[in-house]
Amino acid sequence: MSNVLSKILGFFTGEGFKHYLKTLKYSLYMILHPFDGSWDLIHEKRGSMAAAHTIVILALLTNIWDMRFSNFMVNNTRWSEVNILMRLASILVPLFIWVLSNWCLTTLFDGKGRFGDIYMATAYSFTPYVLIGIPMIIVSNIVTKEEGVFYTYFNVFALIWCVFLILCAMMMIHDYGLGGGLLSTLASVAGMAVIMFIVLLFFSLISDAVAYFVSIYKEITMRIS
Amino acid sequence: MMKRITALLLLACLVLSGLSNAKTAYADDSWYTYTYNYWGDEEASPDAYTVDRVISGSAFGEDVGSLLNPDSLFAIDDLLYVVDSKNNRIIEAQWKNGEFRTVRVIYHVNVSEEKKDLLKIGDKIELCLLQPGDVFVKPITKEQRLKVYGEYLGTPYVPEIEPEEEPAKDGEGEGKGEGDNADATDADAEKKDNASDSDGENGETGETGETGETGETGETGESSEGGKASEGTKPAKTKWQENIEVRKFNRDYDIFIADTQNNRIIHCDYDLNVIDVVANPKDETLADDYKFLPSHFVVDDAYRYYVQALNINAGIMEFTKDGTFTGYIGASPVTISFAQRIWRKIQTKEQRMKTKMFVPTEYNNICIDSKGFLYVTTSTLKDNEIATGTGKPVRKLNSMGTDILIRNGNHFPIGDLKTGNVAGAMEQGLSITGSTAFVDVVTFENETYCCLDKTRGRLFVYDFQGNLLYAFGNSGMNEGSFLNPSAVVKLDEETLAVLDRFAGTITIFTMTSYGKLINKALSLYRVGQYDESADVWREVLKYNGNCELAYVGIGRSLLRQKRYKEAMDEFEIARDSVNYSKAFKYYREEVVEDNIVWFIIVIAALILIPKGIRTAKRLRKEISEA
Repeated sequence: MSNVLSKILGFFTGEGFKHYLKTLKYSLYMILHPFDGSWDLIHEKRGSMAAAHTIVILALLTNIWDMRFSNFMVNNTRWSEVNILMRLASILVPLFIWVLSNWCLTTLFDGKGRFGDIYMATAYSFTPYVLIGIPMIIVSNIVTKEEGVFYTYFNVFALIWCVFLILCAMMMIHDYGLGGGLLSTLASVAGMAVIMFIVLLFFSLISDAVAYFVSIYKEITMRIS
Repeated sequence: MMKRITALLLLACLVLSGLSNAKTAYADDSWYTYTYNYWGDEEASPDAYTVDRVISGSAFGEDVGSLLNPDSLFAIDDLLYVVDSKNNRIIEAQWKNGEFRTVRVIYHVNVSEEKKDLLKIGDKIELCLLQPGDVFVKPITKEQRLKVYGEYLGTPYVPEIEPEEEPAKDGEGEGKGEGDNADATDADAEKKDNASDSDGENGETGETGETGETGETGETGESSEGGKASEGTKPAKTKWQENIEVRKFNRDYDIFIADTQNNRIIHCDYDLNVIDVVANPKDETLADDYKFLPSHFVVDDAYRYYVQALNINAGIMEFTKDGTFTGYIGASPVTISFAQRIWRKIQTKEQRMKTKMFVPTEYNNICIDSKGFLYVTTSTLKDNEIATGTGKPVRKLNSMGTDILIRNGNHFPIGDLKTGNVAGAMEQGLSITGSTAFVDVVTFENETYCCLDKTRGRLFVYDFQGNLLYAFGNSGMNEGSFLNPSAVVKLDEETLAVLDRFAGTITIFTMTSYGKLINKALSLYRVGQYDESADVWREVLKYNGNCELAYVGIGRSLLRQKRYKEAMDEFEIARDSVNYSKAFKYYREEVVEDNIVWFIIVIAALILIPKGIRTAKRLRKEISEA
């Protein structure tokens, strides 16, 4: 028993956890110093994957909490139509496709960032959304409808901040200039659309192919019997 | 290490997400009565009106026969007027103890020698109605009438009827009417006794009527008429005398008849003696060969006419009491979108001529409420205009013609919010598409109003704020369904009559206790008895827990009683964010005031504790340095 306890204690006092906390704390530095912060995040190994995952999960939680706990004056969630997995997927899938598309393009165009780097930088860029989003959920419950515009303003501000951070991060991790950063970002968005299209095409072709073989199988079984 | 942290976080995510399992409810979507909830979905509601009976023309007496394309209804006090357009007649019936009793059938009016020129069409004096479109009845005493319109009765004008013209003019309907008039007078036997001043001809008609009752009505009527014609009597005169007889059933009413195909509105007293005629409006906006086709109209308390004419899309035509055309009111401005404007620039002149004209909405019906505001409906709007709220199918016009209808509900008063088979709407198994098309509207005392939808044969009742109270009806042949509803009137505050043009029937709806409760709650609220109103709304909730308005009503009462938290809960159920916010503002004030000490302590602590820590640190540093 004491063994387990000491192990748990060891986990939380160990070097790894300390590093994790440090890298997580680094996100606060990064959002205020987008250029230096993004550069150091990758090149100086100031960030960690665990911290990136944490921020992504916190962002997902913020999204869900916003749906669940923010006041109905600013929140038009229809509970009978909520599918929590779809809601999570609607953030995670675009995130994955974004990272994939960005990695594919920048690899071709001299980008320095690796797949993990892109993911980490993007995840760290979600920090303002979490930091502003969660207080806004509380605020939405202590303001009237007229004051509720602050909720909207701050959330929009958070999103703009996030987008700005992503842009900066892309410039820094790929070692691009302003033009290159903007262009690669726009191209990645276009790439996302292409990937979505290919995936849909792929699935529709696969289902057609499956249907073809199924019909052949049916035909044969009918002939034999 | 990192993996373990991630796994831990994922687990935390699931625990912390704070979600309860939301259940999805699906229901059978074929109800008779329903409302739209906050989300714009249909929700079953208890019946607010039920069909009392469906009556056809024969209910007005055996010899009235069936109704043919009846266009309009009008009800005043205990009288119901059915405008039986294609039969060129108006049936006047008395609604008493749940039964109809025909008073008379109006085929023509009477005129004095002095006024006969008013009825001149071409060079003929036309007394008979030709496809009347609407009728309006207004209470007015003899003294008032004399004051407003002056003396109008004089020597009765007796038309010269050429024998060969008579069969052409008097169709089968005329023959039936002959018998019917007699029947009506027969029913009012006690009144007939007073008709001793009638001459021999009149007595003869009475007899004809009786034979008509025993034998085959229509034919007997016609043959008797033919007989009379051969005797050299004048049938039109006979009717004139009959109408005098009806005068025994006297009321202080004026009758206005939109004699559509004769291009005029006839204004006469209750005995059908013509007082005035509105015809041939003269205006520079109207073409010289313009044919005035009044379809529906109302008369306000200043005896002005507001006429919806068939071929006019510039709004409602307004006439003074003496029939002078003064202009249009309520025309909706023509809006051309930017894209359309660009497109028109590119088009050649020929193409432009061929494209559809941008015309303002054409109204199709008009109703006047007890305060003199006009309610108008239109069905010429496009689906997307209606859905976005730019097209307004029902409007309330003030005397300036401005739309002052309040649209504070969660949805616009546009009828069905969807365009498919809403709430089980089907027509003989076929799909119905398209927006709701309002064709008539009727207002109630508590400023609720009921719109009649032609597309799905439905009635939509809205309160004075524009909230849908309930919708009911359907398309079809069943009781309570309609093929082509054309008019709706209230017989009293709790009874509706809906006219079906194709079926030629009138459906009488009576209000259920549920409908009465809602009405009562709204009326109490309007006179300021909020708490009593809330009690009624609580009763409503026993019938229908989904009634959002009930929650708002209760919430409002709680808000007035300063029970803010409870009010907030009620408003939240109805998702009424405006009222919720109001209640919350007071609630917040209350909480802050009650706990002001705690707030000060917390704020002070937030300021002082970090300061204290800093001081302590500095002191320690100083001590250690020293």
